[in-house]
Amino acid sequence: MISINEIIAGAKKREVIAIFLFALIACAAMFLDKAHGVPIYVASLVAIAIAAVFIKSDSVRVAALLAIVFLSAFSIASNGVKFGIDFSGGVRIPVLLEKPVDSVTMEEMVNTIKTRAASFGLSEVKVRPIGDSEIYVEMPQSSPQLVTDVENLLSRQGVYRGIVDGQVAVKGEEIYSGTIMRIPPQYLQGADWGVSFTVTQAGAQRFAGVAKGKGNYPLYMFLDRPSDAIIILSEKQLMADAASKSRVVPLARARALQIASSALALDGDNLTLYLEENLSQDFQLKPATNRTRAIVSANSSLIPSLRAAGFVVVEKMDADMAPQYRDSPENPTSDAVVLWPAVGLMSAPRLVPSVTEGIPNFSYTINGPASGANAQAKALDAIKKERELESLLKGGALPVQISLGSKTVIPAPLGEEFLRLSLIGLLFSLVAISIMVAIRYRHLQIIVPMIFISLAELVILLAILGSFTIDLAGMAGILAAIGVGVDSQIIVTDELLKKEGEMQKRLEKAFSIITTSVTVAVVAMIPLLFFSGLVEIIGFATATVLGSLLGLFISRPAYGVIAEHLFE
Amino acid sequence: MVAIPLLLVLASLFFVPQIKLGVDFKGGTLATMQTSAPVDADALKAALTAKGYAVSSVKSLPNPKGYEVEVEIERDDSLTRAETLKSAFFEKIEQVSLLESDVLTTNASADAVAKYAAARQEIDKMSDELFAIALLPKNSSQITNSNELKAEVSLAYRQITDGYSSTLSSTLSSLVNYESASFNEVSASLSAKFIDKAFLVVVYSTILVSVVVFIIFRTFVPSLAVLLGAACDVIIALGAMGLFGIPLTLASFAALIMLVGFSLDTDVLLTMRVIKRKEGNPRDRAYDAMKTGMTMSMALMLAFVCLFTLASITHINTYYEISSVAIAGLLGDLVATWLLNGIIVLWYLEHGGQAGDSQKPFLSSIFSN
Repeated sequence: MISINEIIAGAKKREVIAIFLFALIACAAMFLDKAHGVPIYVASLVAIAIAAVFIKSDSVRVAALLAIVFLSAFSIASNGVKFGIDFSGGVRIPVLLEKPVDSVTMEEMVNTIKTRAASFGLSEVKVRPIGDSEIYVEMPQSSPQLVTDVENLLSRQGVYRGIVDGQVAVKGEEIYSGTIMRIPPQYLQGADWGVSFTVTQAGAQRFAGVAKGKGNYPLYMFLDRPSDAIIILSEKQLMADAASKSRVVPLARARALQIASSALALDGDNLTLYLEENLSQDFQLKPATNRTRAIVSANSSLIPSLRAAGFVVVEKMDADMAPQYRDSPENPTSDAVVLWPAVGLMSAPRLVPSVTEGIPNFSYTINGPASGANAQAKALDAIKKERELESLLKGGALPVQISLGSKTVIPAPLGEEFLRLSLIGLLFSLVAISIMVAIRYRHLQIIVPMIFISLAELVILLAILGSFTIDLAGMAGILAAIGVGVDSQIIVTDELLKKEGEMQKRLEKAFSIITTSVTVAVVAMIPLLFFSGLVEIIGFATATVLGSLLGLFISRPAYGVIAEHLFE
Repeated sequence: MVAIPLLLVLASLFFVPQIKLGVDFKGGTLATMQTSAPVDADALKAALTAKGYAVSSVKSLPNPKGYEVEVEIERDDSLTRAETLKSAFFEKIEQVSLLESDVLTTNASADAVAKYAAARQEIDKMSDELFAIALLPKNSSQITNSNELKAEVSLAYRQITDGYSSTLSSTLSSLVNYESASFNEVSASLSAKFIDKAFLVVVYSTILVSVVVFIIFRTFVPSLAVLLGAACDVIIALGAMGLFGIPLTLASFAALIMLVGFSLDTDVLLTMRVIKRKEGNPRDRAYDAMKTGMTMSMALMLAFVCLFTLASITHINTYYEISSVAIAGLLGDLVATWLLNGIIVLWYLEHGGQAGDSQKPFLSSIFSN
């Protein structure tokens, strides 16, 4: 039997105290830095598990289990458990990529979709990469209009507009998309990167007319430029870049305001710029039509008054609201806004005087410098800029062809009911298994630790999987994992209950069986988990594999220690 | 005694061809509707068939919020065709666009014009067929610019898919008075992708598991016995799927892969206890292992019975498919492990096989004291 003294002696060990202290610090960190709660949780979990595997001491094993259960319970309380739309209700549209992509391209695609969703005012849309060939787009509510909007957004291309001095100079539909390509380094003539493209006859005429005599003017390149809209900036947003210390040439407030306004100019569809500070003193705005949009920071205090006045409010993040100005000490006449995500302004190359003579020309190139500390960083930056520009000219087209997968719609009340019943089901299976164990072993000192360990595993699994997303398949996997967990405890118990042979030897044999079967079970699941990209069932595979691994590394050693002492 | 598992496997093989493919693998549309009153499934099926839909099944089941009506419709041929055309078109369009610009930049040289005309003819054919499916009164010969053609084709394709979905949902809403509905549409290319991936998973899992089992046991007969046990188990589960009409979907597929792990669990226990130990005689050790193994299977079974109960209350297909496949597989595992694998292992020992743990399995040395 385990005596109180034994427990106290164990708890006084240096390693045990260290583990508990570590867990406490991790909890505090999770609580203080809620934004990074999940990574902190996962990292500290792995750290404790490694400690438990390599410090082969009985008290450390038990302490590690307790610490991890504590950490997990804390994570459930602090980070929460995230449920998929199966349980929370909503719509999911999987976007399937025609071929697998690397992580950089994946990030680029996710960001492109996010940016485009945001430019349509669909800020509650969640976009996340799944494996290397799929992206999930999820919406918390299931309004049919919203779904159609998102489907349109994903399947239609964006609209590219190149504007010079308030006139449309290049239209995306007048560019031959097949001709948009990166210029090989040997033809770059001093620039770090370049993209060339060819326009149609009509496009060539338009550009020649608009650009005539506009040498050194910026060509404002917009993707999905809002029309019939106003934009409201705070002083801080207006000057965020202009007053930044990293600028070589500082920009005065009046000049910044002038440049920003001219970037928004377009004959017949000006985006009017207002300053938040002026408006909050004297609010007299009226929308031009009943569909006039007001683009404003999500943190702005003006939103209620804008809504009351009849504007369609489009909320943006602060970072996207702030225009970035060109920092060109050598050529002050080419001052321009070079990036302004809130209005879809993605780039502003300068027109070389030779293309502004009014002669129609079919082929154009855009080139520029790259930045970076060393040659390698510079080369990477050049490739990144080229790709961005390519995608922009193609109307925000994604680097690989996509197709929309089967969409799933779950009404919220039904999802909540499913969740409630599923959690009851989890408890039920725990109770059922406990009863079975009780009938089989009939000794309280065996039954209680077994149930405790199963419960502990459930808490840990919920915390880990809940840090990401638990969907239907994941829930089924957690249920299966409870069964798997009990299985290996049964192996240990049966081995220890045998009379012959010394305790240590028997325990070792039990572990060798468990190790083997866990290895085989995990190996069987590996292709499904890592190489298939079948996201629909990855939750299930993750839960069962995690359940097996948890058992092997954390709870089984601890159970072995407890059981061994109990049987002595 | 070996006859029992063998007969069971044979019987299962007989039912395997009857396994129905779910929407995931077959393609098609699965419409799930939430209603407050039960719906006459046969009448609904007849009505939908009369409207020209190829209906594969209609189910009406009670769930916590009323009733759930599930309608499975086979993939429409014209949709599949449209999808193929669209992919082919988009594969080609960039090249056509490049050729068209060549015509402009080379001042319409005869060579460039001929190349462009040939390529254009090819995509024109595809576009016209798409316009016809979309019932659009358009003709590619009126669209001179390939950029415009691209926009028109995208539009036509969307019209085809949107048109199909909206016709289906309006047809359903005219027939069923539902509160909410969800449509799970699996296109032909998506189901083809699922089949490819599932096939790869099966191949890789089989290879990996076989290699690992041979590394662990390092003797031929016991390794084969373990793998044979797992294979029988999966076949029995597949047979049960055919017999009870459990469709093969991604969820039941995952459950089958998991079964490999479960079935190996007991097989490994048996084989290690019998072959790698010396105490007592092999039969006693096998019997001992059976006691432990049965308890393990019982515990797992209980977990899945709970999931099955949950499935019959909620009618969540994922739960239903996973739990029924797992229960069938675990039952099959009892037979395959103790009546087939057990006998092979005992026969092996009694006919000259080596017992005793010559080497400790390489992994367990990390975790033991």
